[in-house]
Amino acid sequence: MLTNLFDGFAYGMLLFVLACGLAVTLGLMNLVNLAHGAFAMAGGYVCMILVNRHGVPFFAGLPIAFIVCAALGVVAERLLYTHIYRRSHLDQVLFCIGLIFMVDAVVDYFQGPQQQFINIPDFLKDRFEFLGVSVGAYRLLIIGVCGLIAVSLQLVLTRTRFGSRLRAAVDDRRVARGMGINVDLVFMLTFAVGSGLAGLGGALGAEILGLDPTFPLKYMIYFLIVVTVGGTASITGPFLASLLLGVADVAGKYYIPDFGAFVIYTVMILVLIWRPQGLFGRVATR
Amino acid sequence: MSDAPLSDAPRDIALQTVNLFRNFGGLTATNDVSLTLRRGERHALIGPNGAGKTTLINLLTGVLRPSSGRILLEGEDITEARADERVRRGLARTFQINQLFAAMTPLEGVGMAVSQTKGKGWEFWRSVGHSRPVIDEIVEVLDRFGLCDVMGEKISSLPYGKQRLLEIAMAIACRPRVLLLDEPAAGVPEGEREDILDVVAKLPEDVTVLLIEHDMDLVFRFASRISVLVSGALLTAGTVDEISTDPRVRAVYLGEADHG
Repeated sequence: MLTNLFDGFAYGMLLFVLACGLAVTLGLMNLVNLAHGAFAMAGGYVCMILVNRHGVPFFAGLPIAFIVCAALGVVAERLLYTHIYRRSHLDQVLFCIGLIFMVDAVVDYFQGPQQQFINIPDFLKDRFEFLGVSVGAYRLLIIGVCGLIAVSLQLVLTRTRFGSRLRAAVDDRRVARGMGINVDLVFMLTFAVGSGLAGLGGALGAEILGLDPTFPLKYMIYFLIVVTVGGTASITGPFLASLLLGVADVAGKYYIPDFGAFVIYTVMILVLIWRPQGLFGRVATR
Repeated sequence: MSDAPLSDAPRDIALQTVNLFRNFGGLTATNDVSLTLRRGERHALIGPNGAGKTTLINLLTGVLRPSSGRILLEGEDITEARADERVRRGLARTFQINQLFAAMTPLEGVGMAVSQTKGKGWEFWRSVGHSRPVIDEIVEVLDRFGLCDVMGEKISSLPYGKQRLLEIAMAIACRPRVLLLDEPAAGVPEGEREDILDVVAKLPEDVTVLLIEHDMDLVFRFASRISVLVSGALLTAGTVDEISTDPRVRAVYLGEADHG
């Protein structure tokens, strides 16, 4: 029971790091970036290639995955996304779906369609008993890393100048520019961090979520549920939604295997009936 | 920073447009506008609805690019500068926005503007409140605009008049040398109007102000010079007396004021 809760918790934390970039771009920049998962997959492959084939230590592979994906994010934002910011959401969705298929095909071509596994250090494969709970070392690492990221994000958004500038740019980019804020730069940095975190999540999560060319499509639905249930007004919403989703998914698949895959959808539907704007969403102002 | 004037423009010119044009398709929204604001001047821009006032503000602040012509801020060409660069170079404006940063407090709003222009904007990871001079300046601005007692409340919950005051406070906190005031009293209920007019009258004297306004009462009380915009072009410019007695202005603008 507690073990399931722990696993679900770790899974939820991972989902948060994967999806928080999407929550930010959707909620803050009003961009439906369905291809967000492609950055996560890129992070997974970058880490896998470095660690498995070039002997880079796993703990160096993670930050490199972050940096590479953040850089990819900047390039994609400048070259691609900047053209669809002002387009309709349908255009954005179609664009992103197309992008996913292209990335999928490219990865398939170079790396093959099979599942990939990152060689993680042996000590991370251990499980140990703690107060009667069977704790996996790797999941403990996930909780530690993701928890740290969640806290840092919250601090950056609420306590720093960058955070207040970002919030201002989101509230009204015209006024923000009128206060001397370089809105384009703020958005670009934000997009980079969101993509980088997705890449880190993809690298960290390959062990649990799997890694193959269908990753962006397979997990898109999870990211969207996190964002819908959590709302995009803050990062607390997506964080709690991720935890709820992670625990519900793991518990559902364990206790009611026949129905397991539907548990998260049931949770989402119930939450949305109860609060259509999401658990922590603000009432739509746009 | 070379301060060399591009033309033989006198040193006391704060903001100048030179033969400014802006076309939207076949429509000329700004038609050969050459506007000059002297340093420290209280200048009002008036014109009937559809005269192109909004387009002109957008050109001055960098939201729109002119089709041709130049804009000079203290002799330096800013025609190609981005909106946020112009603010950092000393040209700020107020916005007519009701939902101004609705979830922020006046303290945060003014704090952001102050920290942006205190030359420490690059210290983005620091919190606004870590530096004493920044705090002092925030308090001073809030105090000057009578916003101290509401500084911790959400902007969306403030009375409309206070929101308009805050808009001006945030623009002033950017430390502009030229300030564009966009209809500061529009929509403010009668009881709160005096506060706004007071604040506008007491703006620092070294700040050059361009007031864009419908309210002739406010214009005549505040402005030392007036420019009249009609159909995208400058009809005339002059002192309050000259403008108020100019029969052409009466015909195109004052005569239509009843419709406004």
